[in-house]
Amino acid sequence: MTVASDHQPVPGDALVQVRGLRTQIGAKAIFDGLDLDVPRGSVTAIMGPSGTGKTTLLKHMTGQLRPDAGSVRVDGEDVARLSRRALFGLRERIGFLFQNSALLTDFNVFENVAFPLRQHANLPEELLRDIVLTKLQAVGLRGAAALMPSELSGGMARRVALARAIVFDPMLILYDEPFVGLDPIALNQVLRLIRTLNKTLGITSILVAHELAAIRRVADRVYLIANGRLVAQGAPDELEHQDSPWTRQFFGGEADGPVPFHYPAPDYATELGFAGARR
Amino acid sequence: MNPRPSYAIGTGLFILLGFAALAYLATQTTSVANIHRGNSYLIKARFQNIGQLKERAPVKIAGVRIGDVQSIALEPQRMDALVVMSIDKRYNDIPDDSSAAIFTSGLLGDQYVGIEPGGSPTFLKNGDEMVLTQSAMSIENLIGKFLVNGGPKSSGTDAAPASATPPASGKP
Amino acid sequence: MSTNLRRHWMLQGIASIGECGLFFVAVLGAVPKSLRYWRELARQIWFVGAMSLVIVMTCGLFVGMVLALQLYYTLSIFGGTAALGTVVALSLFRELGPVVTALLVAGRAGTAVTAEIGLMRATDQLDAMSMMAVDPLAYVASPRFLAGLVAMPLLACVFNAMGIFGGHLVGVSWLGLDNGTFWGNMTSTVDLHKDVLDGLYKSVVFGGVVSLIAVFQGYTAPPTSEGVAYSTTRTVVFSSIVILAVDFVMTAFMT
Ligand SMILES: Nc1ncnc2c1ncn2[C@@H]1O[C@H](COP(=O)(O)OP(=O)(O)O)[C@@H](O)[C@H]1O
Ligand SMILES: [Mg+2]
Repeated sequence: MTVASDHQPVPGDALVQVRGLRTQIGAKAIFDGLDLDVPRGSVTAIMGPSGTGKTTLLKHMTGQLRPDAGSVRVDGEDVARLSRRALFGLRERIGFLFQNSALLTDFNVFENVAFPLRQHANLPEELLRDIVLTKLQAVGLRGAAALMPSELSGGMARRVALARAIVFDPMLILYDEPFVGLDPIALNQVLRLIRTLNKTLGITSILVAHELAAIRRVADRVYLIANGRLVAQGAPDELEHQDSPWTRQFFGGEADGPVPFHYPAPDYATELGFAGARR
Repeated sequence: MNPRPSYAIGTGLFILLGFAALAYLATQTTSVANIHRGNSYLIKARFQNIGQLKERAPVKIAGVRIGDVQSIALEPQRMDALVVMSIDKRYNDIPDDSSAAIFTSGLLGDQYVGIEPGGSPTFLKNGDEMVLTQSAMSIENLIGKFLVNGGPKSSGTDAAPASATPPASGKP
Repeated sequence: MSTNLRRHWMLQGIASIGECGLFFVAVLGAVPKSLRYWRELARQIWFVGAMSLVIVMTCGLFVGMVLALQLYYTLSIFGGTAALGTVVALSLFRELGPVVTALLVAGRAGTAVTAEIGLMRATDQLDAMSMMAVDPLAYVASPRFLAGLVAMPLLACVFNAMGIFGGHLVGVSWLGLDNGTFWGNMTSTVDLHKDVLDGLYKSVVFGGVVSLIAVFQGYTAPPTSEGVAYSTTRTVVFSSIVILAVDFVMTAFMT
């Protein structure tokens, strides 16, 4: 099995390095000693059943959440130990695509994409306009520049959020479920965009997604997380044919397997009252 | 550059309106409206007892306001109250034998200084002192006298209560 | 046992006062940074101040009118109707202007601020800002807090001016009081510092209190429609209570 042998990257090569991550939210342990590396210049997909903590993992990488133990290093810096100022400095170099877009409802599409530029770069209006329109063109929404977020569909909002995430040409882009709600044409467009950003600008990308077909087309590497740990990793094609119970369940779509389909609950029959009747 | 420039203009207008309202309140409804510095002169008067008289209380002749009380101080040697009044320059023909008394406007109102004009051909000047004064009449005193003397007719020794119903309040 | 104790409503109340205090410090700390976002501040002053003008002016007019009616009746018992202008002005400047304006602003602008920030939290907009290296305390919280601080006293001035106008309308035009008496008595008694400015100081404090509560409630609103709704209600309830309590304390110290 390739799992163990692959997991030995050169430390300097990894843009994101997670070591022994442990996190607890409320009474629930989300991560229980997670290790993974994201090589610089790669497109890495993170998969896992919903509720495993994929969004939480991205939040650790941007310092929105502090781990209880272990470390998350981005570009060599331990995110949890950064001062507020250094953290903001790091965030300027990271683009983040929120699961629900999180566009600023006060501003129209153009101003939403322009927002990071206006805050951090003192550009002449002409140049700023050119940059914003270029990014909007890349996601196919240049014509929607004057619309308000409330006038967009979910897929359009996602693409605007994507344009906003890449407006600064960051070193790292984190995509939280970018393909949800996209029609096949837009999906193609976004996939090509992710690939282009990666190829031409060398931008490292981490994407959380469930769409295996899409992932196969962009990702160099896939990490499968379940129960707070890394359970499988490898190139997309490789992973699909791995003979592990995790991958079989995940890619084969079997309800039975190491990942329970059901959220932990008392016995079904008991809760419906049958157990009592039987007794 | 600015997505919605109307905000800046609207905000500016609002702030100006707010300050205009403040300026209006400050100049049109307060005593600032009455201060004519350099347009007034000072006269003094001594009282045995000023009662509840306060600084900035009105000074009136025949019920018409001509100035206000500027300061009240105890004079240590004579142990009486020295009241300095600032009088509007327009009223510069008050006879120097006029008398000053402290009255109450209404039954429970504030106290003020009422000036009863005399007949002298010479007038009070800046810094002059009025000689004839009459102290404040307190209600306790009035009631006391009433009880001791058995009636209002015997209060003739002191003219104050009778003249303490000046046409101060203009209209009823 | 200990969770039981921690859930006691009184301890929770104290804890939330503590949280609000810490939040206040954080907002104050973000003020210098927020001055960069002066355009956002202008927008908030527009929203809290200018958009409240109509309601504040209308209410000021009616409060002045009803004050004149009521006080005329009371003063006529004592034969002191000449003092109508004075008592209308003093009631407005010292008490009703600051307090009623603050209650109106809490209802109109405070609730809107809470709902807005609550929804921004629920739709991850605050997180998105902080991900774009923009501190939401400086960009969202501080400008709204400062706007309340600036707008409230200005609104109170407008309220007072309208109140005087209403009082004059009733006292002079309707009840037939002499115009000169109305103004003369007022101007001889009302003091710029003791009455007008002391009232304004109250207003500034109320502005801070109302906008702090509104922003805090929005910031800590549970990210659900129900949570935002409750927080909006709490903004009105807490603002009203705190305004009246602070008013009492400040009046006691000022007179
Ligand atoms: N604010 C929160 N409060 C309580 N539990 C949370 C919170 N955020 C996330 N969780 C829990 O953490 C787990 C992981 O969440 P998340 O990272 O969003 O999962 P996903 O992998 O689907 O993105 C979920 O089971 C969720 O119940
Ligand atoms: Mg998620």
